[in-house]
Formats: sequence, C-alpha cells, structure tokens
Amino acid sequence: MFLNSIEQLLRRKIVLTAVIATVAFLGLYWWGISAASSAELHMGHGQADMAVDMLGSADAALAAIITAGPLAATLVTALIIVIGSTMLPEEIGQGRMPFWLSLPQTRLKVYLSIGLAPLAVSYALSVILFGGILLMTMIYFPFTPRNIPLVFVSMFSWLTVVWAAVMLLSLVVKKIASMLIVFFLSSVATLFGGVYEMMRMFPGEAPKAIETITHTVIYAFPADRGYRGVIYGLIPADAVITENLAFFGVTASVPSLHLIYAYLWSLVLLSIGYWKFRSMDF
Amino acid sequence: MRKDNLIRVENVSKSFRKVQALSDFSLAVSSGTIFSLLGPNGAGKTTLMKILLGLVRSDSGSVTIFDLPVSSPLSRKGVRYLPENVTFPSWATPAILFRQLERIRHESSVEEFRLRCSELECVDLMKRPLGKMSRGQRQRVALSLVTSGRPELVLLDEPSTGLDPGGRILVRNLIGKLASEGATVLINSHLLGEVERVCDTATFISRGRLIAEGKLDSLSRQTGMAYIETDNADKMKLSLEERGYSCRKESKGILAELDDPAAFRDMAHSVLDTGIRFSGINQMRETLEDVFLRIMDSERGNDIVS
Repeated sequence: MFLNSIEQLLRRKIVLTAVIATVAFLGLYWWGISAASSAELHMGHGQADMAVDMLGSADAALAAIITAGPLAATLVTALIIVIGSTMLPEEIGQGRMPFWLSLPQTRLKVYLSIGLAPLAVSYALSVILFGGILLMTMIYFPFTPRNIPLVFVSMFSWLTVVWAAVMLLSLVVKKIASMLIVFFLSSVATLFGGVYEMMRMFPGEAPKAIETITHTVIYAFPADRGYRGVIYGLIPADAVITENLAFFGVTASVPSLHLIYAYLWSLVLLSIGYWKFRSMDF
Repeated sequence: MRKDNLIRVENVSKSFRKVQALSDFSLAVSSGTIFSLLGPNGAGKTTLMKILLGLVRSDSGSVTIFDLPVSSPLSRKGVRYLPENVTFPSWATPAILFRQLERIRHESSVEEFRLRCSELECVDLMKRPLGKMSRGQRQRVALSLVTSGRPELVLLDEPSTGLDPGGRILVRNLIGKLASEGATVLINSHLLGEVERVCDTATFISRGRLIAEGKLDSLSRQTGMAYIETDNADKMKLSLEERGYSCRKESKGILAELDDPAAFRDMAHSVLDTGIRFSGINQMRETLEDVFLRIMDSERGNDIVS
C-alpha cells in the first residue's frame, strides 16, 4: 500500500514541479557559489589578504548555507504541505478509500501507508536539496560540517511536525484551509524560532510578553526546532562569525529535548488524526 | 468455502445524524447464492453493503462474515467489493492497478486476471491508461480487477453502470460464472431487469427496514394474464373473445386477461374447447419490477410482505 501511494505521488504534477524546482535551485546555487568562489580568487593580492582576515573559507560557507537554507526549507515545506494535505482527501474524494479499506488490511495500515508517502517523498527531496547545498559548498569552500547526524534527525523532526499537522487538518477542514493554516503556522514558528535563538544569546533581555509568546509558539508548533537543527548541523565547525547570526540558529545547537518533544508532539497529532480517520464512515 | 451462512446481520441500526439509515435490520445470506438488495433511493442498501465491509460502523447490532466480526480485516479475506463511483488514477493501466492490488490482497495471479479480462472483453486494454478509456471500458476493467481469481464473496454496487447492452450481457455471464465457481454474489442495482436475469434471491429494503426477502420465484405472484402460444392467433383471439375473455394479439400468440388469477384453470379449459391447435399456455408471473412496485406499495400501507 505504501509503495502504491509512492507510485501515485510520483505521478503528480506537483511532485514533478518540486523536482524541477530542486534541480533549478541547485543549479542556481552551484552557479552562485562558483561565481562567489572565483570572485574571491580574482581579488587583488592585498584585497584577498584583507578578505581572508575578515572572512575565512568557513565563514563564506556559513554565509552561503544560511542564505540558501531558508529558500530550500520553504520549497520542501511547501511541497509537504501541498501533498500532505491532498493525499487522504483525494483518496476519499475519488472514491478509492472504500476500495482500499475493503481489502484485508487494517485502517491503521491504510492511514499510515497513504499518509507516510508524502513524508517519505518530502524527506527524500529535502536530503537531496540540503545534501546538494552541503556538497557544492564543500567543493568551493572546504569545511567540516558541525554535526551531520543531527542534520538527518532534525530534518526528520521538522518535516514530521509539518506532516502530522497537515495530515490531521486535512481530515478536519477543507484541503485549502489545511494548507493555509499549516503554512501560516510554519511561518510564525520560523519567525519566533529566530527570536528564541536571540533570547538564548542574550538571556533575560527580552520583554516578558515576547518571551511568553515565543515559548508558546515554539512549543505549540515545534517545526522550527528541527529546521534550526538542520542549519546548525550543516554549518562549518570553525566559522568565526556565528555569534552575529543568532537569529539564523547558528549560535547554539538545538537541545535534544526539543527534538524529542517535536517527535512526541507529532505522534500525538498523528494519533488524533488516526482516531478521526478510524471513526469516519466511508 | 468457509461457511454456509456466510453473512449474518443481526439487529443492526445505523443513523447519520437525524437520518435513520438502518433500523433493527437482520439478514442471513447463504453461500453460493446470487443475492440482490432492492429498494428505492435512500433505502439503506449501500449503507448495509458498507457495514458488511466495515466501511461504515453500525450503531448497534452485530455483523459477521465467515463468522468473523466485520471489524476484523480477516473477514475481508476472499471478499471483493466494487464501489459504485470509484475513480482509479487516470495514468494507471489495468496491469499497474492489478499489481498494486495484489501487493495488498495476494489472492490472484496475472494469468487469472488476464482470463477475467478476456471474459469481459477488455484484455486488449491491459496497457492502456484508464484516462484514455470510455466509461464502459473502465467499468469492465474494474470488474476484472475485483473478480479475478477465486473470490468467495463478491459485493457489487451498481455493476452495470456505464455499460452498453453488450457489456451488461458480459456482466451477467460473469456473475453466473462466479456463482458456478462457488462464489456468493451480492448485488445492489436499480436495473431490475438485470437483477431478475441473474439473481436467485432478493431482499427488499425501505426506510432502513427489511420489508421482504426470499427466492425471486416465491416473491413473484401469478398475474391475471395468460399467454397462449399458437400459429392461429387471429382465430384463437376471436374464439376467446366470444367466450368473454379480453385478448391481445402478440407476435407468436395471444395474451388473454383473466378476471381473477385463480381462474386460469377455467381459461385453459376454454382454450381446449375452441379446438384450435396451440403449442403452450402459461399463466404470466409478475416481473421483478411488478414485485418491486407491489412490495413498495404494501410498505407504504405498512404491511409486511412474506
């Protein structure tokens, strides 16, 4: 059933569009980063020394990653929201759900098999995107990433939160509404995720109200924690300018408890979604 | 075959908000029968079919297939269902759909699927995407997918939808073949002519209640019409009219009206008395449509028909 759903998903225009967008994005990134690398090489002797003093290879790589990261994240988030919000409603709307459920398999299997396909496709695309960014950056600005395992774990956490939310909402509200709600939540979570990182950098300096709102947002929709983990894991270990970039999540690693919390949060939403699906008449 | 009484529905009720779809409904279906659910729109036929498959949960009562509660996926092993308005992906070919289906059910081989396709005259469509097929072709492919192999119970919701007369004949033959192979077939259809040709048992449902059930022969009554097969239709018509019968000439005989269905024997004597050669005389029985209308009329008067 899972393979059937993947097969079905890979035939959809939105996935094909996302693949083309990924290739285009990586092409542009390659073009940009190679141009930046040549520009550094073509500097005059004195200029180059000054640039190296100010900005080492690792810092250039850091700048490239934190510039490309949000764009790549937006692409992947948009994809998982669109395919995640349409997968179950389309199977129901096209009358295929009674057909699948009439086969000798449990509702849980049907729910997870159909539901997991968008997560798997988005995760694969995300690995390609961020992997491509990492590889190209390393080619032109050699560096050692801080924590590659963290990247995989965080990426899965980030996508799982968005996926669990959109899966649940797609069973409760219309698919367009579910898309808009989750996109809005993701945007707000990213904004306050940045604020949270700054509060970590400068503890006690934020007004109490901002602190409360920020904590509420990052716990209510913990997708941003995973995204910060991806960026933190990718960036060079020896970059020197990280302290000025707290907002981008490069100052400190995401506490593992935050990632565990995000996984548990997703599990709760997934369970509520299944409970809703289980009680539906088809 | 796993069980003689393979479907058992006991005191099932189901409501959708304020609409009572089924009310204290009970039914038992023996294996090897071709069974039809009949009733007006909104009677509860599709709801019953969906309850049998666990697609809709009943509010009360119990439902078992092969003695297993329908909540168990095992009760659907060997069970095939074709919903009325299923739309398979337009890019998929029958071969792809069959592969996808068999990943889940593991019940039939490609050869068996090809055989079913050839029975439904759609074997040449195996590699054509469904989006490039007519509605009738898609329906024949869907039926082939659903019935390939050796199913034990087949539930078909409006199986003749979108089919031309040729296609309907193929479906009739398919249903007969399934039954001859030992399958129990449950059909939900509004095409009473089709149902009459293939089914041996019917259940009439109205407003969520069972109002009549039984073998089609036992449900249909003798009518007040008799058919006399003769080569001398004009002469026979005249003779019977002289004896007080109202007659109508048909292509190969006479259709005579009886004052009372019980007076058929008297009419037969009258026919003999004419001395005109005839090859057969039969009292007409109600068609399924007549039965349906009579039963539904009775139901409006709240009679229970047995």
